[in-house]
Amino acid sequence: MSESISLPNSQTQASPAQGRSPQNGSERPASRATEIWERIDDWCERAGDHFNPILVKETRQALKSRQFLVTFSVLLFSALAWTVVGSLWQMPQIYTTPSAPKLLIGYYIVLAIPMLLVVPLAAYRSLEGEIDDGTLELLSITALSPWQIVLGKLASASLQMMLYFVALFPCMAYAYTLRGVDLPTTLLIVGILLVAALDLTVIALFLAPLSPSRTGRIVTLLMLLVILVLAEYGIGFLVISMILYGFQLPVSMVWFTLVSTLLISITVGHLLVAATAAQLTPESENRSTHLRLSMMVVTSTLLGIAVYSIETMGRNDAEEVFVVATMACGIVWGIGGSLMVSESPVMTPRIRRELPQSFFGRMMLTWLTPGPATGLVFAAVHVVVLTAVAIYGLSEMAATAGPFAARQLQGMTQVAILFAAYWIAALICVRWIVAILRVNNHPRVEIGIAALVAVLVLAALVPYSIGMHLNDYRAYQYSRWQITNWVWTMGEVGNRSGAVGSFDIFLVVAAVAIALIGCLVTMPRVVLPRKTATPDQVVKERQANKAAV
Amino acid sequence: MSDTCIELRRLHRFFGKTKAVNDVSFSVPRGHVFGYIGPNGAGKTTSMRILATLDLPSYGDAFVDGFSVVNDPELVRRRLGFMPDSFGTYRDVNCAEYLDFFARANGLVGRQRTQRLQWVLHFTGTSGMAEKPIRGLSKGMKQRLCLGRALIHDPAVMILDEPASGLDPRARIDLRKMIRELADRGKTILISSHILTELAEMCDSVGIIEQGQLLATGSVEEIQRQRAQHRELVVRVLDRADQAAGELHSRDGVGRPLIDGQQIRFEFEGDAESQADLVAWLVGRGYRVSEVVSHKKSLEDVFLQVTEGLVQ
Repeated sequence: MSESISLPNSQTQASPAQGRSPQNGSERPASRATEIWERIDDWCERAGDHFNPILVKETRQALKSRQFLVTFSVLLFSALAWTVVGSLWQMPQIYTTPSAPKLLIGYYIVLAIPMLLVVPLAAYRSLEGEIDDGTLELLSITALSPWQIVLGKLASASLQMMLYFVALFPCMAYAYTLRGVDLPTTLLIVGILLVAALDLTVIALFLAPLSPSRTGRIVTLLMLLVILVLAEYGIGFLVISMILYGFQLPVSMVWFTLVSTLLISITVGHLLVAATAAQLTPESENRSTHLRLSMMVVTSTLLGIAVYSIETMGRNDAEEVFVVATMACGIVWGIGGSLMVSESPVMTPRIRRELPQSFFGRMMLTWLTPGPATGLVFAAVHVVVLTAVAIYGLSEMAATAGPFAARQLQGMTQVAILFAAYWIAALICVRWIVAILRVNNHPRVEIGIAALVAVLVLAALVPYSIGMHLNDYRAYQYSRWQITNWVWTMGEVGNRSGAVGSFDIFLVVAAVAIALIGCLVTMPRVVLPRKTATPDQVVKERQANKAAV
Repeated sequence: MSDTCIELRRLHRFFGKTKAVNDVSFSVPRGHVFGYIGPNGAGKTTSMRILATLDLPSYGDAFVDGFSVVNDPELVRRRLGFMPDSFGTYRDVNCAEYLDFFARANGLVGRQRTQRLQWVLHFTGTSGMAEKPIRGLSKGMKQRLCLGRALIHDPAVMILDEPASGLDPRARIDLRKMIRELADRGKTILISSHILTELAEMCDSVGIIEQGQLLATGSVEEIQRQRAQHRELVVRVLDRADQAAGELHSRDGVGRPLIDGQQIRFEFEGDAESQADLVAWLVGRGYRVSEVVSHKKSLEDVFLQVTEGLVQ
């Protein structure tokens, strides 16, 4: 047991200058080297203070870990082996004909396995390990925010990727000198690999804390493995096609694809990082606003890409982009909307203190604050915007299409309106189901997804089953009793069979609008401006911290 | 600055129908060591986790240095060092790197971090182990390292959940000394343990919890006073011990006496004054009393008396 210990006195520590020995000429060069070394060390130490602590810790761990050692050694050995074998294999044509493609494919495979499989899996295991070993709890009571924890893990994975890439760079440069693959293609391959590896790592980090149970974690691990293997296959196919056949799209389309892919990667990546950080954030804090903002950005990006494609591309290309973008938005708002309407309505005074306090602020920003009521309105507004854009796109496409296609597209407009109405109706149902469940339970927000699926299935299945029963289990015609059967109703509208008239569509939209207004009326406490005071002690502490910074 | 450093106010934590913590309130003054005792599943760890901002109360609030764990957790965390009952260590990391990481995570930079790291290594007696990988450490050394981790940012309040479990006697003594020294340095410590003899030696006050409810709180003496004044008396009477025992049994507050030669052992309910009266009465009756021994109740006795051995 130690005695009382005083802090080490800085004056008693030998300074670099004290380390010099002017009397002894032979020691001078060594002292100077030591001094320089200590300065570098000191500079590195100070620079290290600005890095994310997780990055520092993970780098130290990684450099000592067997996994990194084995992966790095295998990568170097494989690259070297392929350089020798690949070069010999192409002898003597290697001197006369362009030989880069085959070598580059080999190097791509050598690099893609660690970057697209090993690094994301290591990131998943790293975050999962923090949860399993109880160190995440220890981290959560430090000054590190959940965002810093997630970004630290991502930075550490990126550093490993960079090390793998730098190790293979000379080989890729060698392949380039053999001709056959131009510089833009080589750079694009590297870019695709980096972006894909980062995205997959973000997905891995998102999946790691998703399930608290061990069985659930096995499921998430399997999900991740399937995603990684599919990505490895899909990206490999794309890259190898590019190496062998070059770009097969017009230049404008290549740029559009590149920019839109990059934008989607960044925004969806941000959304997943925000969702991961939200999973690590304690319940007492606001986990929702950041996610809502991020979802809004993803939606804007997707809709922007859809609108751009309609404005600038030919109808066939635009149609594909438009359908994919709006469907992606639908998925985002299907999952996101059901999660938002399932949030707990209880807000701690801490969250209330951070809400906009002025009337104007609350009028404009209330929909970003946590809670199922605001979540419902936020989701409903986005579904309506999404539908408006879809209708705009359909009408633009109808203007340039032939008469038959134009009629079909007009039918699709009604389907879009009905789709939005049913979507909002489902979210309203989910909101009330989860509210009832919350009376005696404390369910996770993920219950919203299950409730949404149940609502959608039951809304279609129950009237259909009743109809079947009433018609002695024989095929029967659509009637107004099937109005909640969204699958059949939208199918009838899409087929323009005439079974669903404009009045029916109006009926659905009006019912949903009334239900939504009803929900708005029941939440005046959220909308009305309120002031929640921050304790003096907290204000003083925060001011002191700011001053210290 | 308030004198109360830790305060639990009507704290409740429910897990479904289980009331893990049910209306618990107590406060710990600055610089005190508070022992939190109770059987397994009594709600100790749950309350400690709420104090450490790792869980939220279903109702009520807890305060560290006046800051609410619900509303200002980040301000609470700055003042708090938490040592859970699990180690929470990393692979491929040595002791110095482990502490350095937590120092960085707590916002310590530059020389401040290095100095603090040296101090913690020295204080916990792990200086010689600084470069050793954590997985090679003994349980006692790991426990010291974890105490060092909780101390690294110099918190005002420390919450230690079963820090002595599984330690050998020497390691337990060392730990006790370290905790006492930290309290002498002004740190407020909330500690839970099953080794009640040790808690009694190092704690200024204790709280006894069972089935989520706080049954008693205060110093061991105070709890004894709160409870019925039971103590065991041993009286040595040189002759007629059987007769003396019979007469003693007829007195109020005297339990059934057990005779062991000249010794009469019995439970006595009353304070020191009534004890003196009893001895005077016995001498007055002509018995030659050569020795009176009063056994004060230990924390273990108090614990057994207060709790009923119920587990949720």
